[in-house]
Amino acid sequence: MNSLRRSGAALMVAAALFPAAAARADSLPAPQGEVILTVSGAITNTNDDGVARLDMALLDGLPRNSFATSTIWTEGVDTYEGVLLTDLLDALGATGTNVLAKALNDYEITFPVADVTDEGPLLAYRTNGKPMSIREKGPIWMIFPYDDVEAFRTEQTYARSIWQLDRIVVKP
Amino acid sequence: MPSALLSRPRYLRNVLCGLMVMAVGLLAVLSAEVRREMRLFQEEPVDSIHWNLTQLELDLVLLLSAAQLAQAQDDPPLDELRKRFDLFYSRTDLVRSGAMFERLDLEAAIRPLTARLDGFLRHATPLIDGSDASLRAALPALVEDVQALRMDLRSLSIRTVEQYATQADLRRAELARLLRQVAATSAALLLLLVALLGSVLYLNRQAERKTAEALRVSSRLQATVATALDGVIVAGLDGRVLDFNQAAERIFGFSRDEAIGQGLDRLIIPARHAAAHEAGMARMQETGNKRMVDGGRIQVTAIRKSGEEFPLEMSVTSNSGPDGMIFIAFMRDISEPVANERALLAARDKALAAEQAKTNFLAVMSHEMRTPLNGVIAAIEIVARKAVDPSQAKFIRLAQSSAKQLLRHVNDVLDISKVEAGHLALSDSPFELEPMLASLVDVLRPVAAKKATKIELDIGTGLPLVRGDSFRLGQIVQNLLSNAVKFTAGGKVVLKAVLHPQGAGMALLDLSVTDSGIGIAPEDLERIFEDFVMLDPSYGRTDAGTGLGLPISRRLTEAMGGQIGAESEPGKGSRFWLRLPMPTVERAAPPPAPAEPARTTARDGADDPVLDLLVVEDNATNRTVMEEMLRLLGHRAALAVDGREGVRKARAHRYDAILMDISMPVMDGITATGLIRAEGLSKDSRIIAVTAHTMPEELERFRGAGMDDCLTKPMSIRDLARTLAAVSAPSVPSPPALPEPADAVLDAPRIEELRQALGAEGMRRTVAQFLRDTTATMERLRSAASSPLEARALCHELAGAAAMVGALRLHRHFAGLEARLHDGDDNSVAAAQTDSDRLWADAAAALGGLTEA
Repeated sequence: MNSLRRSGAALMVAAALFPAAAARADSLPAPQGEVILTVSGAITNTNDDGVARLDMALLDGLPRNSFATSTIWTEGVDTYEGVLLTDLLDALGATGTNVLAKALNDYEITFPVADVTDEGPLLAYRTNGKPMSIREKGPIWMIFPYDDVEAFRTEQTYARSIWQLDRIVVKP
Repeated sequence: MPSALLSRPRYLRNVLCGLMVMAVGLLAVLSAEVRREMRLFQEEPVDSIHWNLTQLELDLVLLLSAAQLAQAQDDPPLDELRKRFDLFYSRTDLVRSGAMFERLDLEAAIRPLTARLDGFLRHATPLIDGSDASLRAALPALVEDVQALRMDLRSLSIRTVEQYATQADLRRAELARLLRQVAATSAALLLLLVALLGSVLYLNRQAERKTAEALRVSSRLQATVATALDGVIVAGLDGRVLDFNQAAERIFGFSRDEAIGQGLDRLIIPARHAAAHEAGMARMQETGNKRMVDGGRIQVTAIRKSGEEFPLEMSVTSNSGPDGMIFIAFMRDISEPVANERALLAARDKALAAEQAKTNFLAVMSHEMRTPLNGVIAAIEIVARKAVDPSQAKFIRLAQSSAKQLLRHVNDVLDISKVEAGHLALSDSPFELEPMLASLVDVLRPVAAKKATKIELDIGTGLPLVRGDSFRLGQIVQNLLSNAVKFTAGGKVVLKAVLHPQGAGMALLDLSVTDSGIGIAPEDLERIFEDFVMLDPSYGRTDAGTGLGLPISRRLTEAMGGQIGAESEPGKGSRFWLRLPMPTVERAAPPPAPAEPARTTARDGADDPVLDLLVVEDNATNRTVMEEMLRLLGHRAALAVDGREGVRKARAHRYDAILMDISMPVMDGITATGLIRAEGLSKDSRIIAVTAHTMPEELERFRGAGMDDCLTKPMSIRDLARTLAAVSAPSVPSPPALPEPADAVLDAPRIEELRQALGAEGMRRTVAQFLRDTTATMERLRSAASSPLEARALCHELAGAAAMVGALRLHRHFAGLEARLHDGDDNSVAAAQTDSDRLWADAAAALGGLTEA
């Protein structure tokens, strides 16, 4: 229910952002600022030859979510704000079954789309309301609500908590 | 309850359970600890330390290579260098923030590394963040710094990893220890479970064995109870049936299924006893008082399904079962034995009643036979006096002796049946032994003389006066004497009597009759006192006897408390003896003369109401006189000739008073009074005895029989009037009147009274009837000499009749004779025959003169 409503909301936002999404191949507006995330593979909404290049403005236009949690890498509890991966995949019309996420230092991890839920992961681009630099694991940190959901406190989830994320490939 | 057998495993089981609880508790604690440890492993709160340190080193190498590449160029692009620095910087952040290492307790180990990294970044960051020119200029120094840092980073990383490895080993060892503990506890728990299972199995097997045994015992008991001949009912304290065997089914008609669960009160206890049963049960529940339980066999009334009540014999025991007190009743239907017993009793009663009826019949018949027999004897007597033909005289004598013999037999049978029926009334009055015995001997002397036998009386003089029934004693002695005379020819018969004083006014009469006759064979001696035994039938024919003489003597002796027996030697003679305890009387005290009662003046009966009266009187003269007297007094009188007719009339009509003669044929006055009092219209009427008896105890007997008053014959019209006055005012009892002492032939006042009452014609009629009746009675008295009883009754009748017509001297004569006969002087009638005839003639002449005048 929650996820359906949330997905429905995401689609409506996408339709508003990208009016001719269904008509043309390159239905996404072109990025105006520095591209910080590139999504490729099995997606339908793109803006550059089957690839979606997203700047901060485009990311900001997607449904925003936030939660507070501690992590094993940081001290204390911080509030993370960004777009849920599931919302992003919905907005881009992703049809694949696996997601490959890759960082600036070429660290990569693959996980099934089925694991992507309304609870996480969140593609966080603001910590405690401030944008994140590379030195602060920015510009995008794929993060989970470890404190709220016990199931996320596993080594596998820690491995998926990729920081300095800059590329996503949706695999069929 | 074999508690010792059960308590050991139970105790063991309790211990095992306790241990198990402890083991489970321990296991729970250990499990919690293990789970905590496991969670530490599962929820890795840290990223891999090796990975991060290697990445740090890798990022540093990549930074170094980017810096060296930039140094090798003249005008190098610095973006790559800056990106590598930023990446390294972000990686150092993980180490420097210390969060990760703090969680791993590696804070101290990482501190040198942190300090070294801080130092580098403090120096390098301004260079990287500075202008391209200054960065280019600082490149060589930066490369040198990075190289130096790389060496230090390596050694510091290795040391940290070593420390981490040591700590990990410790944690694993701890976990292993925990797991071992869990395993040990689990094993112990398993062992306990096995032990417990074993104990449970053991108990189960034991319980099964016990159950089987109980079943065996129970089924054996069930079979025993079920096939028992007695009915068995088991009930609870609430009275509900728990078990009901086959015999009980047969007895009560209920099937077992019907009976079980039902209350005894609804099942087998008759409704009228239900309340008592409930009270008993309630009492037992409250007080524990079990009246019927363990009280042996008791007989109760129970009820069958059919509703039939029957006698039941049962015994009840109690036992405390697992569900409380139970009662076991063993029951036997005794309706058949009880019915048999009843039938037996009824048969016995019937037999006794028949025996009694027979005896009564004999008594009545004997009595009834005597009256006509007396008539026969009297008739023969008259004929004998007038007989002239010698051949006729012979037959008449034969008829005479036969008739007398018959009368004796009848008297014998009457005596025996009287004793048998317990009707024998023994008189108890003082008498002289010597004259009584002498008279008996005198009577038989002529008979003995005919057979040339002498009779001797051997008796001392000065014997004391004794009390007893002289008539009955005389009867015995007469019997013994006549037997002795009968069986002795030309010999001697001796009557001997000795009175042995026994002290305190008692004496033992030792009397014997010895003869020198034919004697009795020893084998016959025993039988001679039995009924109807005649030893020599030939004697029986010539010297007729019923054979009842000795049995009567035996009965009379026994009735008087004495003993009788015989000894004999055939051919030599016999000796019959009699021993009788008798009270002696002081001769000095003469019997007191009856006092003369004060006579009340007769009232004038004119004012008295007219009474409706019944006269019951057998003597026709008396009846006529009384009827006339009553009429004179202004009363109505109905007449009845005997008790039976009197009863019939009294029941059919209500009389104000009944004048009842005492001695009457068919039914006497005492019996008639009882019957009148029992039922009928006159049951509450006044009954007045009319009698010549004046003895106080007799009067008392009349009152006991239900009579209210007594008139003594001969009565005067005044006496009658006074007594009848009490009928209208019964609160004034009249004392019994006594005859007026006088010695004239006729009682002048009485004659005058009669004449006034009856009138001249009535007087003549009455006197004529008296003369007629008395002539006949006198004849009967003459022939009744051999039967004292008969004689006594006749004297009584004569005395009464004489008194009624005022023949005073005749009355006194016969009253005296009656008294003597009553006292046992049986020969008095014969002895006084001359006097009787003379007095009768005088009285008849005087009375005849009266009526002719």
